[in-house]
Amino acid sequence: MNSEKKSSSGIIAAGIVAVFALIVVAACFSGCTGNSQSPAEIQTLSVSGSTTVLPIAEACGEAYMVAHKDADIQVSGGGSSAGVQAVGEGTADIGMASRDLKSSESETYPGLEQHVVAKDGIAVIVYKTNPVSGLSTEQVKAIYKGEITNWKDVGGDEMEIVLVGRDSASGTREFFYEKVMGKEDFAATQLEKNSNGAVKQTVEQTPGAIGYVSMGYLDNTIKGLKMYNIEANVANVLNGSYPVARSLNMFTNGPATGLAKEYLDFILSADGQAIVTEEGYVTVA
Amino acid sequence: MTNQTIDYHGDQVSGIASSMGARGSLKERSIRYVWLITALVGIVALFFIFVFLLKDGFPIFLDIPVTEFLFGTSWNPTSVNPGYGTMPLWVGTILVTIGAILIAAPLGIASAIFISEMASYRVRSIVKPVVELLAGIPSVVYGFFGLIVLTDFLRVFFNIPSGECWLAGSILLAVMALPTIVSVAEDAINAVPKEYREGSFGLGANKWQTISKIVLPAAISGITAAIILGIGRAVGETMAVMMVTGNAAIIPDPIYNMLSPVRTLTGTLGIEIGEVAVGSTHYHALFGVALLLLLITLFINLFAIYIMNKLKSRQSGGGKTSRFFQWNLRDLWEKKTIRHILLLAVFIVMVLIFGIVISCIICAICGFLWFVDSRLNSQQKEKTAFILIIAALLVVFFALAVILYDIIINGLPAINWEFLTGSPKDLGREGGIFPAIIGTLYLVGGAIMIALPIGIGSAIYLIEYTKENLLTKIIRTGVDLLNGTPSIVFGLFGFTFLVLYLDYGVCMLAGQITLALMILPTIIRTTEEALRSVPDSLREGSLAMGATKWQTIYRVVLPPAASGILTGAILSIGRAAGETAPIMFTAVVFSQRFLPDSVFDPVMALPYHLFVLSTNVPGSTTNQYGTALVLITLVIGLYLIAIIIRNHFHKHTRW
Repeated sequence: MNSEKKSSSGIIAAGIVAVFALIVVAACFSGCTGNSQSPAEIQTLSVSGSTTVLPIAEACGEAYMVAHKDADIQVSGGGSSAGVQAVGEGTADIGMASRDLKSSESETYPGLEQHVVAKDGIAVIVYKTNPVSGLSTEQVKAIYKGEITNWKDVGGDEMEIVLVGRDSASGTREFFYEKVMGKEDFAATQLEKNSNGAVKQTVEQTPGAIGYVSMGYLDNTIKGLKMYNIEANVANVLNGSYPVARSLNMFTNGPATGLAKEYLDFILSADGQAIVTEEGYVTVA
Repeated sequence: MTNQTIDYHGDQVSGIASSMGARGSLKERSIRYVWLITALVGIVALFFIFVFLLKDGFPIFLDIPVTEFLFGTSWNPTSVNPGYGTMPLWVGTILVTIGAILIAAPLGIASAIFISEMASYRVRSIVKPVVELLAGIPSVVYGFFGLIVLTDFLRVFFNIPSGECWLAGSILLAVMALPTIVSVAEDAINAVPKEYREGSFGLGANKWQTISKIVLPAAISGITAAIILGIGRAVGETMAVMMVTGNAAIIPDPIYNMLSPVRTLTGTLGIEIGEVAVGSTHYHALFGVALLLLLITLFINLFAIYIMNKLKSRQSGGGKTSRFFQWNLRDLWEKKTIRHILLLAVFIVMVLIFGIVISCIICAICGFLWFVDSRLNSQQKEKTAFILIIAALLVVFFALAVILYDIIINGLPAINWEFLTGSPKDLGREGGIFPAIIGTLYLVGGAIMIALPIGIGSAIYLIEYTKENLLTKIIRTGVDLLNGTPSIVFGLFGFTFLVLYLDYGVCMLAGQITLALMILPTIIRTTEEALRSVPDSLREGSLAMGATKWQTIYRVVLPPAASGILTGAILSIGRAAGETAPIMFTAVVFSQRFLPDSVFDPVMALPYHLFVLSTNVPGSTTNQYGTALVLITLVIGLYLIAIIIRNHFHKHTRW
């Protein structure tokens, strides 16, 4: 028993050492990075909000950081309301929103300044091989109200329509609700997702699905529908013929200064707007 | 000094004048109070959680009548005519939970029977850890697997428009609730005295007769508690459920339509709280939902604790039976008329829910099974039962194997040096996950550094400094309730209290504190077990040699208990590393260029990274699987270490 006890206390010691080693290693990592990059030189900019604007913010952030080694641009999602609130409360430097400020928001945060960084159309998407290639806004509305429930009623196959939409705090949903639905309620059977990507993911793997996403998310894994025979693409939003389009905003509390200003200037520069185009959105500058 | 021996275990130390005069008594007393304070942390935390949910949830009832909030059928907060009815949500929660328990309870109980009654020592030492590994898989990984594989399978298999449905949620939850059910049920079965079995065998009963007629009835309250705890686990689960149930706020039509999408209370919180404008009616409504969720889980857990306490008092009190289950129900069941009335009532309820045709079919099947059952002799019955039990166990193994296989096969190609040491690029489709790995280590390291001293302190206070009294009872109940609190509720508490009220902002510290509160119960419980396993004779010996109480604890009691404490710590590290809901509103960002250099910076974390990749970033499948594999390796690795340490000491520690 004595030798057993000895070996067991050896194991305990080893185990404890292992756990602490893990923590120490973690701590060391912070030490290393902290030393190589003196914290004083690093400027941090936190950007948060709408998942629609997020790809622009992220890609522009990456490009900006390549040119500016001392900048740390932290981007997080959460949705338009969260973005407005974050910048208003000061928990983020820039808030992203895919809609304009609501009256209640401009009352609570009177200092917010709007910067339009891009324009965006909302595309209605379906499964890749769905034969339907275009709908009118009335048809889309009827589908989302639950009045049309089968693809055969709009010229497609005999197949039940699966409604996919956004959660109730989303700016994209709000825009869709106002522009397409005319403020009439969605059918309760709609599956709700909390991001553009999630809507796209579901539509991508569900043959009967219909969804709406920001045009930046269009690619060949899903099929974007024409609205009134007008294709959802950048050119048609630019010339104003595509009916469902909006501006994408970034908000700062008061006029932008320092890194925030440089970052916003970069997005509105030719390089930044090139990234906007690359991400599938419509340029504003 | 000698009187310390006398009031060992006593809580009157401070009251005895002579001990107050003893050398070092001030130190001893202050140590005692320090541990008392740590022991109160759990209760205080629970209280704060409740108060802060109430603070933000209460205003909804000023706008919306309580009845409409509870029984309204439309949840549509941003409509022109907003609806704040939570009925589809709590009905969804109940339905998903029922489905999960219908799947998990038979599998879990069968596995528990297998492990404790049928398996040899060698088989048991393999089967048990495997079931426990299921508990080690992070819920976001389950959700990821469910979203990618399970929903697609269900869609094709049942030929339905969308696979995101109630059934998908129930299947995932069943797998997640299994480890809880198995381990508690196994404890209950093990607690049945050996004499019962010997008596039964002595009367000529075979093994299955002994199990079904003697062991299971004797363990029934423990098994009930196991199922209730499993229910508690299922009700509070967020990430996996919200990724696979479709989140349509409807009550399935007809109500038993398991292929209908549903939306749970937790799912609603998970998808909406991050985007809602603070202070709006919608925001308060969500906290109302959180409050409802907390109350439901509190109730379920209190019920489980009540039953467990009955069980304990029966075991320690010898012949005293648990009246509620053993006496009432069984006596009722024995009376024929009452049995018939009950059966009729069940049938009527079934007709009301399923309609007459399906009810008749179900009855016919039950009748047929009963007929077959009555025709089999005891050997055949035993054989059938054992085959079914082993089949159940195989189902459990199959579930684990499918999940691990899918993730390992698809994840391995993503793993390379750049993936492990690089930063994410192109929204995480390219590049690596290094900052997320480090962020997870930071979060977990911080959480354990906060929770370990508090947890060990609480356990020392509970075991070494007090007798059982009202205070310890309250503390223990508090700890149990904290253990049953859904992780999303911790997340909301962290958000409203740490991030907003204390104005920490979204940062590492907020996440660490939230996680620490969440793992505290595990640490307290395992430490308590470890301390209990140290025999009193050691303490008495030490005290008799003139050591003070604290010297005894520190030099004599803690060293042999260290392995148990370490196991608890590692298990909680594993749990903390895999959690998403508590950190998604409090500590994490999706991308970050540099590693954080203070606790007031936000971090990236593996589970959140996986969640965002799999729900927000299409076309990142490889990196999704890679992240899932790294996360699962990290967590399961920790669990394995804990299991190995435990097994080692099980074998080598003899008192």
